[in-house]
Amino acid sequence: MKVHGRLMVFSAAASVIYTLAYYFDWSLFQYYVAEGRFHFLRLPESAGPPILWYGWLATATLAGLAAAFVVPRRLLAWLPADLVWLIPFAAVLAAVMYELRWFL
Amino acid sequence: MMTALLILHGLIAVALLGAVTHQALAVGIRRNEARTRSFIARFRATDASAYGTAVVVLYVAVMVLGALLYPRYRVLVRPLLQTLDLRSANGAFELKEHLSAVGLLLLPAYWACWKQPLAQEYAPGRLWLTWLVALTVWWNFMTGQVLVAIKGLFP
Repeated sequence: MKVHGRLMVFSAAASVIYTLAYYFDWSLFQYYVAEGRFHFLRLPESAGPPILWYGWLATATLAGLAAAFVVPRRLLAWLPADLVWLIPFAAVLAAVMYELRWFL
Repeated sequence: MMTALLILHGLIAVALLGAVTHQALAVGIRRNEARTRSFIARFRATDASAYGTAVVVLYVAVMVLGALLYPRYRVLVRPLLQTLDLRSANGAFELKEHLSAVGLLLLPAYWACWKQPLAQEYAPGRLWLTWLVALTVWWNFMTGQVLVAIKGLFP
């Protein structure tokens, strides 16, 4: 992992954090459809259901960027090249497993 | 305005589907196979590395338009699915949501794997990430088509 190691770290970290974000509801912000506005704090139920997906994506993107910049250059060279596809593959598998509840 | 965006979303998705399907089928090709004259062999004989940047640009464009359309889905389509008790359709969209997000987040790695000159150590990454992107695009496209036509399919 030399030339584009940081891009690969971003993808791996962001995929993991996105999975954790929807599982544990780590939404950076919410979008309230009825109001048409973003909020960092949850509003009462009377505000209607929020969209969390934008917030999950933002959480994952920020965490991915942080990981990509924090990981030292020496460690990049040590990371196995197969991690680049194994982690996103696991994230896709986790999403399929998580959403199976709708089909059973 | 939203109808125009939905049509544009669909049209760009078709272009993305074509590009990534071509690339996914070409990524694992063997040299001697490319010389045969069957339709499939010719389809796969394309230069897979030529699609990398195009797939990234098209994917991001489809995602941006999808994100703009999403609130309208939540207001108009999702309540209908719940009223009709179409759990599978609802779940298919939930999965579309996650697959499109993971697909977006893996694009930097995908792009790096396809960057010229192609690094031999990333050959498995190229193969698997391309197939993952293709899988997410196909699922999202099919789900989107079904949901757009859901009233007609389940009157």
